[in-house]
Amino acid sequence: MKKLMQWGLSLFFVLMASNVFAAGVQDLNPEGKFKVIPAIMMIALLILFVMVGVFAKAQNTEDYWAAGRGVGQIGGGMAIASNWMSAASYLGMAGLIYLKGYFAISYVLGWTGGYVLLLVLMAGQVRRYGKYTAPDFIGDRYYSTTARLMSALIVILISFVYSVGQYKGIGMMFNWIFGINYQTSVIVGTGVVLAYVLISGMLGATKNMQVQYVVIVITFFLPLFFIANKLGYFSAVPQIGYGAALWDIGHGGNGIAEAAADASYYLPFAKYTAYHWFALCITLMLGTAGLPHVIGRFYVVPRVSDARWQVVWGLFCIALVYWTAPCYAAFAKFSNLLGTGGVNIAPDAIVVNAAELAGLPEWFAGFLAAGGVSAAFSTVGGLLMAGASAFAHDIYFRVMNPNTTEEKKMVIARVGTIVLGVSIIIAALNPPALIAQITAVAFSLGANTFFPLFLLGLWWSRTTKEAAIAGMVVGLAVTFGSMLIPKTSLLAYYVPFTSSAVLGVPAVLITMIVVSLMTPEPAQEIKELLYKVHNDE
Amino acid sequence: MEKDININFFKPVGDFMTKDVSMKKLILVIWFVAVYGFLFLLKLVADPNATAQVKLSTGEVVTQVVGKSFLTETQFLGFPFHYWYSAQFCIALFIFLCWWYCKFIDKLESEHSKK
Repeated sequence: MKKLMQWGLSLFFVLMASNVFAAGVQDLNPEGKFKVIPAIMMIALLILFVMVGVFAKAQNTEDYWAAGRGVGQIGGGMAIASNWMSAASYLGMAGLIYLKGYFAISYVLGWTGGYVLLLVLMAGQVRRYGKYTAPDFIGDRYYSTTARLMSALIVILISFVYSVGQYKGIGMMFNWIFGINYQTSVIVGTGVVLAYVLISGMLGATKNMQVQYVVIVITFFLPLFFIANKLGYFSAVPQIGYGAALWDIGHGGNGIAEAAADASYYLPFAKYTAYHWFALCITLMLGTAGLPHVIGRFYVVPRVSDARWQVVWGLFCIALVYWTAPCYAAFAKFSNLLGTGGVNIAPDAIVVNAAELAGLPEWFAGFLAAGGVSAAFSTVGGLLMAGASAFAHDIYFRVMNPNTTEEKKMVIARVGTIVLGVSIIIAALNPPALIAQITAVAFSLGANTFFPLFLLGLWWSRTTKEAAIAGMVVGLAVTFGSMLIPKTSLLAYYVPFTSSAVLGVPAVLITMIVVSLMTPEPAQEIKELLYKVHNDE
Repeated sequence: MEKDININFFKPVGDFMTKDVSMKKLILVIWFVAVYGFLFLLKLVADPNATAQVKLSTGEVVTQVVGKSFLTETQFLGFPFHYWYSAQFCIALFIFLCWWYCKFIDKLESEHSKK
């Protein structure tokens, strides 16, 4: 088992190091200019986050794991939203829409539509099962230490991949604000995230997430009114106003000559096929329902009903930002067609670029940069927690040393956080792809492993331990296989590394069903517990 | 054991689970059709004469129907209609579906005095 874990981890590091999908990070601030007002905003925010973390300090391990299980509905929804919305939502999504037009709307739909699946198929049942972490659930449901260890490893892998994208966002924004180079920015930014996660644990993180959500929404909304106004679109509700900009991008108008118009921006299949739209969207949806740090939020609420209402509020809070992200892409594209120059454009910084392109004063862009960093922070906080708890709780406490003390567990969790944090820095120094694409890989991994395990685990009591293990092996194989096959091959065309769940989830489900039917049924207690989860007794 | 305690999504047991599962199915069908049914519709009504050269990841260049149709050429709130539908309406629909399900299941649970 240990060998398998080591093998998996080393494969992963080799993969990251070999840089199979090379994409350099563009220097957004080649003159090394220190931008004073954005810098003050950024520093003020960082101080705020650390302060909130300190004041809401975790008292004991019970708090550290599940935030005392006492978070309200709207508060919980805001925490879900900010935990969820990372640099990929704030910076990456707009960047992809800018590049790929309507095709990238599949990111918007995938990352919201998954919540319907999560709510309907998972949230209530997971909460009623009454476990603390995803590996805890898998270890108990599939009565297997091996399955517990494997799933803990996968949690760590997901946290790792996901965080690499976030660190890239942090690095790019620090680079833009402070004029220090990208590599230094990554290291400085990570230090701050690590500091507050270590000080505060998840209780601090939950409070912090609510503060961060407010910061994200304000910074994301405010500059948009001015951009819309400057470009001459309906600016009272820019989320509606950008529709006309889309039309003008495709057909010409408002200063864009008809010849310069770019219809491929809004036409559905001008750059990619419907199949790829479907594959990406379904991967992100299934991944949403299979991400351990998202499912993890349901252990925090005292009542099942609260767990569900948190999803509704969470989705609403997320939607506010997702309705807005395409505006930045459209306005940046519009300015670009108008021929506004003198701005260093990078797709992953398009939100900030949009403000610059529209010719707004520097502090608007600074606002956005600071918001992007808080989005990344809130998510990395949750991810590092999930990864560290998988290590300290699921691997160390449950398997290696069940007689350990609370203090020892706490120390292990903190060491785990640091180890994970530092290894992510190494991968993020040379990021392999665009932020949203890296994040999509984490989603593929969640979709290919946790989604089928939770789905069958909760909804088919015949699923056996052997099936769970086989399922995880197949899921990992498909996810990493799709990254390793040559990009120009026909297989890579049908199973892109960002959308591998389109093949992975059916393959894992079939594997699990076949293996289950070939192996002895689970014990009676497992079935009885599952029956209670679904019915009143 | 006279009671069937095997859980299977497609063979629900017990009154609570039966009602819950039929609602879940309804919501999932709406959810799927709204997103992917619309994608299929876009493909279906596309003008076959509006094409573009697309370079595939395999390096091959193909001519492909771009999906121009009345859905993309109708303006709604300023938007090309399909863009508005996908980027705004669908998200609102997701929120509604979640809200609807929560209402339903809260009621069902109180009827079955389940916590």
